[in-house]
Amino acid sequence: MAPIELFIELTLMPLIAFIVGMMMVLMMRRIAARIQRRIGPPFFQPLYDIVKLHGKRTQVSHGLIHDIGIVMAMGGYIAAETLLPVPGMNGIAEKGGLITLLYLMMIPSLGLALGVGQCANPNGSIGIARALTAMLAYDIPLVIVIFGVAYAAGTTNLVEIIATQQAGGFATWGVVEMPLLAIAGLIAMHASLGKQPFEIYIAPAEIATGPMVEMSGKYLGGLFVMQCFQLYTTSVLYVSLFLGGGTTWFDFLIKSFLVLAIPVSIAYLFPRYRTEDLLRLMWKWPVILGLIGLAFVM
Amino acid sequence: MIFSLLDELLIFSAATVLVALILGRGLAVGWMVTILYGGQLLVLIKMAALGYGGDPIASELSLSVMGQDLSWRFDALSWFFALITLVAALLTSWFSCGEWERKFKQQRGNVWLFHLAMALNVFTMLILLASGDLLSLFIGWELVSWAGFLLMAVAGGVATKAAIRYITYAVVGGMSIFGGIALVYAAAGSLQYEAILIAVEKMSTGQLWMLVLLFGSGFGIKMGLLPFHLWQAAAYAETPGPGSAFLGAISSRMGLFAILLVLVKLFGIVNIDSLKIPFTLIDARDLLAWIAVFTIIFPTYTALKQNDARYLLAWHGIGQGGYMLLGLVTANSLGAAGGLLHVLNYAACQAALLMAVFAVMHRTGTADLNKLGGLVARMPLSFLVLLTGIIGLAGLPPMNGFVSKWLVYRSLLEDGMPLLFLGTIIGTLGTILSVYKLIHNMFLGQLRVEHEQVREAPWSMMTPMLILAGTIFVTGLLPGIPLTWVSAALQTIGLTGPEITLGGIESSSGSLDMIWVIGVLFAGFGIGAVIFYSAGPSKRVHQLDNYAGGHFLTADVRYQYSDNFYSGLMHLIRGWYRGSFQWLENSITSLVEFLSLGMQGIYRRANSEFYLLSTALFIIAWVVF
Repeated sequence: MAPIELFIELTLMPLIAFIVGMMMVLMMRRIAARIQRRIGPPFFQPLYDIVKLHGKRTQVSHGLIHDIGIVMAMGGYIAAETLLPVPGMNGIAEKGGLITLLYLMMIPSLGLALGVGQCANPNGSIGIARALTAMLAYDIPLVIVIFGVAYAAGTTNLVEIIATQQAGGFATWGVVEMPLLAIAGLIAMHASLGKQPFEIYIAPAEIATGPMVEMSGKYLGGLFVMQCFQLYTTSVLYVSLFLGGGTTWFDFLIKSFLVLAIPVSIAYLFPRYRTEDLLRLMWKWPVILGLIGLAFVM
Repeated sequence: MIFSLLDELLIFSAATVLVALILGRGLAVGWMVTILYGGQLLVLIKMAALGYGGDPIASELSLSVMGQDLSWRFDALSWFFALITLVAALLTSWFSCGEWERKFKQQRGNVWLFHLAMALNVFTMLILLASGDLLSLFIGWELVSWAGFLLMAVAGGVATKAAIRYITYAVVGGMSIFGGIALVYAAAGSLQYEAILIAVEKMSTGQLWMLVLLFGSGFGIKMGLLPFHLWQAAAYAETPGPGSAFLGAISSRMGLFAILLVLVKLFGIVNIDSLKIPFTLIDARDLLAWIAVFTIIFPTYTALKQNDARYLLAWHGIGQGGYMLLGLVTANSLGAAGGLLHVLNYAACQAALLMAVFAVMHRTGTADLNKLGGLVARMPLSFLVLLTGIIGLAGLPPMNGFVSKWLVYRSLLEDGMPLLFLGTIIGTLGTILSVYKLIHNMFLGQLRVEHEQVREAPWSMMTPMLILAGTIFVTGLLPGIPLTWVSAALQTIGLTGPEITLGGIESSSGSLDMIWVIGVLFAGFGIGAVIFYSAGPSKRVHQLDNYAGGHFLTADVRYQYSDNFYSGLMHLIRGWYRGSFQWLENSITSLVEFLSLGMQGIYRRANSEFYLLSTALFIIAWVVF
């Protein structure tokens, strides 16, 4: 591939991810509004929010690491997008692969954790401790799922995993071939988004929104951007593993939005679990499903 | 007589011991031995051809003891381990020069003994690495054990207790190895590697099992493999700063070196594979793999509970050993390369981490995670080193630990071992949790009043720490460089390495190119920074200018969350810490005590009639039957 082409891909992939991510935030808010019998925000509200937060006059910093943490949180996802193939663009997906992508997606969490830590607020620190605990909870089923898919495909190369599913048509989609893993993956994905009932680390009633407690202005704006990327990355990864990726942008986006709509719709119907209940739940049902699903694959 | 390079190296190393012994009470001894370690490293670099597949270098010295030929030689595997050993020795010794040494003296530490013990450790390790047959291996092994004991016991007090516990384990391990050597000798009639290689082919399954168990547990004790891991954390953590960093970085890996030499090279993975455990589906290799995974998981989650930074890291040291062994027993090209590469990567991370912790301890006087906090504002460079180290230890990109763990994961994936794979990930997640606790409780959060005046660590400490941090990053960016050495080392034990590129590996089932991964990661950070910093300036506020639910914060309010850091998690898994291994150790100790009491009783009684009667009966019985 010509370097200039690659460069354009590497630029476009995060940019598209960001725009789609904002639309996903919008969808999430609209779904919440419908469930709560409200109208919901207008189309450009996520963009307005980001611009507004970055444009605030008072920006409170607790030190350099506070700033760097936010930069890492955004930057980690921007980098992760280049490893996530989309229709017509593979970026550098073949140079990293699935495991690298999985680990790159931890960089934003690490950045956030560092930034929050520097804020010197126990609410924030408790939030991070809970967020990391949640990660320990949902990553175990998630890893079983990833192992199953990679083993079945015989590769960790996402491009090939998608190509195999597309070549064989619907019957070879991950969700048809490995339905149990797909269900386990969906539950793990829901928890990884940190939405209710797995919202243990935000928990406004308990720890004053946890990690966000000292975040304002562009710091909160940075986290908003991070959330856009997070929604996009999680759902696109799921689509790539189980729903055959996208042959065109049209079906790619439809699949991604539909997948995301499932956890989001569930989220606004449930209250929050306690931390240990989340662990118990995650280590039981999705793990059992995942292991049985894995046994079918092996 | 013309000396080979290996002789030069060993003589240089022996000279270092002598200098430490004779001039050790003089001024600037630290600098002197540091320079001498540098000299040793230079000689080792002169042997660099070994790392690229050069011919082994033999020592001119060879002895014959009771008909046994003793010889010493260096091959790629020895060179790889020696490189880590000497770099670790150079940097940790550098760390000890100047201010650390002065403070150690003030605290009534014995600087002379410390430097002597360090030099002895390095010397004995080189002898072990150079061993050319099983007997010289055993001699080197025992020397390393006792040198380690000396270094661990330097600090006195709690450290001595830990060191005695260590040496008890080490002696048991030594005996088990000796037993193994005796068996090998009986079977092969020689202790030369070539003769053993031939004899192994004819050994029965029972013999091979016995040998695998004897050597495995003997060497495994040094590595801290389950269930022999209990001695390690305290012994390493209580050693004086730079010594702890040195031991933590490389000492246990001598066990791995010996396992590679004996179990992999001499007995061969294929032979070990054929040892089935009756009535189960697993063989000796699976057994080793599962021991490795449990060695990853249990110590890692014990580390999570620690409230002392040194202990936390020392427990992780045990856990990380599991990744190395696991990668190597998979014995495919990816896993073996990952396991061996992890020795280097882990050594750099662990040394950097322990040095950062000891730098903090040097300035604040404590490593208690509940008594620190907010130090990033006072010791930013130490923070940077610790951050680099924890990212490497946890195995996240862009640091080197990611590459070696990636290789191990990939090999398990390729071999289709989901449960082992899951085990390694559980270990990695536990590592991430506990290293965040480490960095948060030391460097983030609220700065304590008593630490307001703390300064950054002195340059004598900072320089080696920064060099290590640089190493962690560069070997993560260009893993091809160390992987070349790893490939050469693997060839000497009969394994093959993967296809290497400068940025990682090339494989048909998924490649890795760290240059690209790190490139986009930093580009991402760059874009993130542009978005963030283009949004106008922010105002720096004091740490007490903080949300406190309507209260005002004052300097005397401890506004830091550090104790029972993962309370939600602990709520669930607290009951799972049963201390079974401690129980096992205690029961063995009690058993030994009971037996020795019984023996004592028989002797003390001095009942001559009883002895006479029993002896007479014994003789009669012998004559009659």
